Amino acid sequence: MSKSARNKDARKPKDALTQRETPWGAIAFFTLIGLVATVAIGYAFMQSRPSSADGSASIAGMVIKDDLGRNHTSSPVDYANNPPMGGDHDSAWQNCNGRVYDTPLRNENAVHSLEHGAVWITYRPGLAAAQLDALKAKVTGTDYTFLSPYPSLDAPIALSAWGRQIKLQDASDKRADEFLRAFVKGPQTPEPGAPCDGAKDTP
Amino acid sequence: MTQDARRGRRVTVVLAALVLLTGAALVALTVSRSGGPARDGPEAGFARDMSAHHAQAVRMSFIVRDRTDDRDVRLLAYDIISTQSAQIGMMTAWLDEWGLPKTDPAGPMRWMSGHGGHPGASAAMPGMATRERLTDLEKASGRAAEVLYLRLMAAHHRGGVAMAEAVLARTDHDRVRRLARTMVEGQRSEITLMNEMLRRRGGPAA
Repeated sequence: MSKSARNKDARKPKDALTQRETPWGAIAFFTLIGLVATVAIGYAFMQSRPSSADGSASIAGMVIKDDLGRNHTSSPVDYANNPPMGGDHDSAWQNCNGRVYDTPLRNENAVHSLEHGAVWITYRPGLAAAQLDALKAKVTGTDYTFLSPYPSLDAPIALSAWGRQIKLQDASDKRADEFLRAFVKGPQTPEPGAPCDGAKDTP
Repeated sequence: MTQDARRGRRVTVVLAALVLLTGAALVALTVSRSGGPARDGPEAGFARDMSAHHAQAVRMSFIVRDRTDDRDVRLLAYDIISTQSAQIGMMTAWLDEWGLPKTDPAGPMRWMSGHGGHPGASAAMPGMATRERLTDLEKASGRAAEVLYLRLMAAHHRGGVAMAEAVLARTDHDRVRRLARTMVEGQRSEITLMNEMLRRRGGPAA
């Protein structure tokens, strides 16, 4: 405040009947209410967006692919991704009820399991034993997941769901659990309710 | 104080009351919305684990329908397939509605034990048959398949009843309680039926 303004204030008559004081109390009160309302609305908004069940749940490094073929075929399919993350497939799905396979699977069967809502965890052979054990434990305890080696994989580990894929360097990467929570029987599933057993049980 | 000032204050008070009420309503709405079952709570854990449990009952029932011509066993298996498949659908719909994941990478059954899960310990789910027993069932036929199925399924149902009772002891959620109660009653009466069927086939009760 400038010197002249202060002088002006000082010259103002101190008449209680005509003076209009700045209503600091009211201002503080409404500011507080406004803050509370903003926080409440923001919180409600966050709560109303379930991040985990969101089909577009974004996980760093995740690849998304739409418009994948869904035809059944008994002949080999040339998949655009390695490992495949959807597309035409064999009529028999690979059993995916928490199954650990020690030898590579046929892509065409595994892709059918993705259509049923499973997450396929693949690893490059030679993965450290401790990491492989961690993956096996994860899969054994989790329905609608299955694990198999994938020799031509260009990363140590890949998690694939229908149209969703993420490649990881380490089994303890938090994104593995995030991916499982988001996509095991997730909203990307083309055939929700379809089974993970009763079909192909060996590689 | 002038009349103007008094009126001004009254308006302020009324406005303040309105704003407060709106704020309270918003907070109440927020609380009620976030009051749905938690990701790691008993309702969600039950929905996830019972879905996996039911899926195995459906599988075993399909196997026995392929392994015997016995009308009674095939009908019981048909009943279990239809009922438990539909119930998997109901529980999946709950999780969809609650916006919660369909799996818990930390392992099953944490909602029952109350402490950290044991990843890889899906056998810890009560009543689940091992893969070896399922393979035995796939290889058996006729009377042997019926007896093995009835024994496995009676044990499976007992585990299912224990899980349903566990969630009843842990939740007030109406829909969860209703389905869990029907599981307890339905599966208990089927255990009695299966034991009777076992006796008729000369096998000991399971």
